[in-house]
Amino acid sequence: MPLLPFYIASAVAAVGLLFILRPNKPALRRGGAVVALAGTGLFLSEALRLAGPPTADVPIALLIALVVIGLFAAVRVITHPRPVFAALYFIVTVVASAVIFLLLQAEFIAFALIIVYAGAILITYMFVLMLADQGPRDSIGHIDDDGDYDRVAREPMAAVLVGFILLGTLSAVVERIPNTAVLAQANLDEKVARQQVDALMMMPKHLLNVVKRTDAAAVSVTVPPNTAIQGSIVQTQVTRADGTVVNMAVDTAGKIDNTQMVGLDLVARYPASLELAGIILLMAMFGAVVLARRQIEFGEDEVRDAAGLGRIVLDVPDHERAAPGGRS
Amino acid sequence: MTYFLAVNASGASHAVTITLAMSALLFTIGLVGFLVRRNMILMFLCTEIMFQAAALAFIAFGRMRMDTGGQVFVIFILTIAAAEAALALGLVILLFRRKETLSSEAWSELHE
Repeated sequence: MPLLPFYIASAVAAVGLLFILRPNKPALRRGGAVVALAGTGLFLSEALRLAGPPTADVPIALLIALVVIGLFAAVRVITHPRPVFAALYFIVTVVASAVIFLLLQAEFIAFALIIVYAGAILITYMFVLMLADQGPRDSIGHIDDDGDYDRVAREPMAAVLVGFILLGTLSAVVERIPNTAVLAQANLDEKVARQQVDALMMMPKHLLNVVKRTDAAAVSVTVPPNTAIQGSIVQTQVTRADGTVVNMAVDTAGKIDNTQMVGLDLVARYPASLELAGIILLMAMFGAVVLARRQIEFGEDEVRDAAGLGRIVLDVPDHERAAPGGRS
Repeated sequence: MTYFLAVNASGASHAVTITLAMSALLFTIGLVGFLVRRNMILMFLCTEIMFQAAALAFIAFGRMRMDTGGQVFVIFILTIAAAEAALALGLVILLFRRKETLSSEAWSELHE
């Protein structure tokens, strides 16, 4: 039964998390942290054992350290008694995953994550945390009995049980699926080379810059249709400044970096999704404005003042002005 | 037969395996946090943890297949996370104004 180690690891981590969730018992929490760490280590080592002999392309020790830091910070997010510190710990999780993205060659996303998450979203959370007065008080100013809602967990037993079931299911599903999509290393290299060639052919200006690095006199470059592509080498026709046209083989390997590739993908492969994302952001903005609007009743005169109009002065005849209820 | 957790044969590496494991653990922590936390703002912070886990899985699978589609999808996740943060925090502000507390228990009588 290959999944048993995963289930055991999930159970150990769940028990550890359960102890961590107990407030006001430091010894129990410390013990729970050790148990949870052991469960996480078991989970990771079992996954690594399945993955076979290690490869040297990524520093595994650094990666595991990042995983432990990120998970520790995430646990602090869900256990810390003070909300502002919980939000700060979430930044630690974000930074740890950003470094993992760097190791997985997703450089643009790594920095976008730090800018958008740690820089924008978390600041919004901080604003709201500060805005919502901490330490709820009743009308006389006393702290409510309900004020410990940040310290006491709600239903830790049931929540940890749900988490254990989810983790077991995730590992079962992920382990079970026969991975027909896995490509062999040679196919993968070929795919990457092909992507580079395609991307470079879609960016003629960038292609010209690449050509200029070897031939400074080049003024324009064209890729003839049905050109020969061998691996990452593409045959091009380069027009030089003196009018001569020469054939030149351009090696595209490493000429397109991650940011260019993601940007090209974003607009060339997923343009509709990009538009949709923009619409979602716009709608979210409308929604937030409508939600956060305060209902203030203005009188007619204030509205007209705000609009820069004069007040309405009725030209009331003298005999009506004296009548009861009329304007004086 | 190769498995998703045994991606070494594909040339994607242990890094992918570890990242997928972290993704599973992080998602679980986010879910447990959402159930355990009673502060409404922190409940939504826990959904952000789950977004984070999904992003990690996307990047790992994208690296495994050397496809930038995974990274593009993470951009959309960022978009959704930003939209969700704006709307959820707007809602929380609205609820806070009504009851002057962030506790989610204050709203539990809705169903009682």
